[in-house]
Amino acid sequence: MIHVYGLVDELAELPPTRGLDDAPLERRWIEGLEVVLSRAETPPSAEVSREAVLRHAQVVEELMARSGAVLPAQLGRAFRDEAELAAALQEQAAQLVRGLERVRGCVEFGLRAVGEPGVEPEATTGAEYMRARLEQVRRQDALVAALHEPLAGLARESTLHRDAADEVRAAYLVPRDAISAFRETAERVAASPGLTVVCTGPWPPYSFAAAER
Amino acid sequence: MSRSLQHEVTLLELVDRVLNKGVVLSGDITLSVADVDLVYVGLRVLLSSVATLEEQAQLAAGGAQR
Repeated sequence: MIHVYGLVDELAELPPTRGLDDAPLERRWIEGLEVVLSRAETPPSAEVSREAVLRHAQVVEELMARSGAVLPAQLGRAFRDEAELAAALQEQAAQLVRGLERVRGCVEFGLRAVGEPGVEPEATTGAEYMRARLEQVRRQDALVAALHEPLAGLARESTLHRDAADEVRAAYLVPRDAISAFRETAERVAASPGLTVVCTGPWPPYSFAAAER
Repeated sequence: MSRSLQHEVTLLELVDRVLNKGVVLSGDITLSVADVDLVYVGLRVLLSSVATLEEQAQLAAGGAQR
């Protein structure tokens, strides 16, 4: 079985780390793309282990430190052999090349924000319910304006998810030279009263690796 | 936020990325859906506990100032 860590561009050298199950890392050119992988005799177990997640993440992180661009691969997929991997890469080759260009020189930051639980008014009529719902949407709009917009302005790209539970999740693709400005802004917006904000990063660009829709 | 909580959140964010983000090159899925669901449940529980702790910390800090 073949386990893929990611696609790289301008990888200076393989990191000294070993891969899943302590297998050595390999770099292979397949379908015009450079892939970092490791091999295993048996299919990986169906259960995801903490060890496997951390090892995969560590390899991807070290690839990011040594290359011009990296597209992290999702953990939990395996290929029987190089022919199967080649077929999969060929299918998406053009998108993958564009993907590498998209993330070049960037890191990812993540943001999760939870607003103070609003006082739920007792909705006894449909109109009251609609008013309460509208109020919730307004709170979220305010949250997005206060948190997300200043950060998105510093990012090359961003994603935003809003949950019903007053929660906002976002990811930002941030050019390396904007990292300190991004961090300062994140600290400033995170200090908003009545909010719990968690900003994490820098990450390899996991959230921007999938093909653009 | 306390250092250990920040660490926990970071770890869960990492798991979320490794399992649910990243480029999918087809291939056979080797993870069960239950594994992935567990990660999400963990994230959610943790975030609400962060929110509660922060609230308590703010109340405590506010009380000290007054």
